[in-house]
Order: sequence, then C-alpha cells, then structure tokens
Amino acid sequence: MALPVWQQLRTELHPRGLEIVTVALDLEVDSARSWIERSGADHPQLVDTAHRLDELLGIVNVPTALWVDENGMIVRPPHTAAVERYDFSKLKTPEGLPDDLDAHIRDMLEQVKRIPRFDADHYVDALRDWVEHGAASRYALTPDEVVRGSAPRSPAVAEAAAEFELGQHLHHAGHVESARAHFRAAHRLQPENWTYKRNAWELVSPGIQGPTDFYDGDWLSDIKAAGPEHYYARPDF
Amino acid sequence: MILQQLDVTPEELQRQTGWELKPEGLCKDDRCVPLPAGAGTDGLVDVTMVADRLGMPIVHDDRHGLWALGPEAGDRVLASAQLPPIVLSDVEGRPFDLASLRGEKVLIAAWASW
Repeated sequence: MALPVWQQLRTELHPRGLEIVTVALDLEVDSARSWIERSGADHPQLVDTAHRLDELLGIVNVPTALWVDENGMIVRPPHTAAVERYDFSKLKTPEGLPDDLDAHIRDMLEQVKRIPRFDADHYVDALRDWVEHGAASRYALTPDEVVRGSAPRSPAVAEAAAEFELGQHLHHAGHVESARAHFRAAHRLQPENWTYKRNAWELVSPGIQGPTDFYDGDWLSDIKAAGPEHYYARPDF
Repeated sequence: MILQQLDVTPEELQRQTGWELKPEGLCKDDRCVPLPAGAGTDGLVDVTMVADRLGMPIVHDDRHGLWALGPEAGDRVLASAQLPPIVLSDVEGRPFDLASLRGEKVLIAAWASW
C-alpha cells in the first residue's frame, strides 16, 4: 500500500507547491477506512465508491496517478504510479494452509513475481522536476499530448462504465445480487479494467479473489489470460 | 448517470454529464451537438435522443426499473486537458471538490484496499 510513500512525498513537496490527493477505488468506504486512518496523512484522502475516476479519467488499475497544474489543466494523464520499492522475490505463502488453497496462492505469487516493476526513483525524480519547473519540465505534456495520451473510450468501454455505475448503485442500495449481473457485464465489456473486476471479486472471495459461481473470471485465471507482463501499463516517462 | 425514467430536466443532465441544453443543442466546452426537434419539450429532455446524438450507452435493470446513461464513446476518455468537475467524499462522508485546489499543483493518486 503506497499511502505512506505519498505522505513522504507530500511532506517533501508541499512546501514547493504540490498537493497530493489520494483516492481509494473501493466500493465500500469501510474497506479503505483503516488504511486511511492509519496513514496519518495531512493531505486530502478521498474514497470513490462509484469509480467515477474510471469513467471520467480512464483509470483501469491501481496505483495510477495523474498530474494537474495550478490552472486545473492535466499535464500527465493517468499513468502507472510506481512509488513503492517492493521485493517480490521473497514472497512466500503463509504456513499451515489447506493444500488446495496453498497451491492456489503459490500459483498467484508466481504471477505476482512476473508483473514488471517500474523505476520508482525515476518516477519520483520526474515528479520533482515538474514541481520545480512546471510547464518547462520535460515531463509536463501539452494539452494535445494529454488528450492523445488518455485512454481510448470505445463503445464497449463507455458501456462498461454505465454497467458499473448501475451495478454500484444497486450494490449500495442493498441489491447485491442484482448488482452482480451489471458487474459481470462491465467485466465482459472492459476486461482490461482491473478495478471493476477486483472490487467485485473481493466482495465474494476476500483476499484471494478466486473462482466463484458469481463471476466468470478470477484474479489468477484473468492474469494468466492477460499475461502478467500486461498487468500494468508501462509509464511513458 | 442513474435514471428512474428516460427523460430528465436540463439542469440535472448538465449537473450529471456536463452537457448544457442551449438553443443550438447540447453544449459542453466548445462543442455543440444539435438535437432533433421535440427532444426537449415540456421542460424535460429525452435521454434516448441525447444518448443517440452523443454516442452514449444506456443500460437497464428490469427488476428495479433503473437505467444508467454512460459517457460518450469516441476517441479518447479525455476530450480536453481540463480536469473535469470531480467531487468525492472522505471517509466521514464530507464532500471534497478537486477544483478547490486551483492555484496548487496536484497529484491525484488512485489506490485501493483490495
């Protein structure tokens, strides 16, 4: 969870004119609450239970960030925001699990280890450069570049957003079963959107996001199908 | 936007989608799209006509009598580099308008508990 790293960057860069806003793409506020309360952050920490950022900005996975200048102009469209340094090579399954669960988690960890890691130091250096130089920074894009660099919105992607909106609305109204049909539709229409999928899977298979009768996919099957090397879009810095 | 019927006041349409009903049609930023005659009568706008003209999907839930109007399909998610209006809440439910941060550089970081 990158929240402590965002707070460190905020402490460093707020005096130079940068604010950080973290947004949890969580259907349930309570899922994000303990992380937020423990973070001790002094910047705005918001929760997007409807996934408005997916629809409005084209976000499909986390961590993802965008940069906005003093005039409210986006200068970096949403990109994979690698700010944490992980060492996934040492990941191990917990002790004492039943055999089938142990095998499933081992398989998941093998996929996790194959997800490419991006250069956190380079990302943070680019951010510092923009904070210092603004529009003159080579990392600040022109409005045309921002629009062209934003995600494509095909009819299927637009329809996925509508299905997810209906699904989350029904979910929050207590119609959990009806919501699932719309989440399934969103998954089918925009399979590359991991936030739509993982949020829904997490509700029925917490922690593992494994196969269930409710959804066609699950984390392990879907990442194998997509290829772990495609899980994160490579940030173009 | 969530709908209980397939017509909506122009004010609600604008609040939810950013498209404003003007004499020349529906307008957003510097774009205007004409609407067919009869699309906006009796103080309400026909959402199916709006969806058709703007390339927006409408999806339906039969059981609960609800529709969702999706965003306009087209080339890219961002039609302009201007950050769209976004108001989200914190864990206490207090709304926060991202536009209130004008004057500062802002990094918006999406994360999740899952």
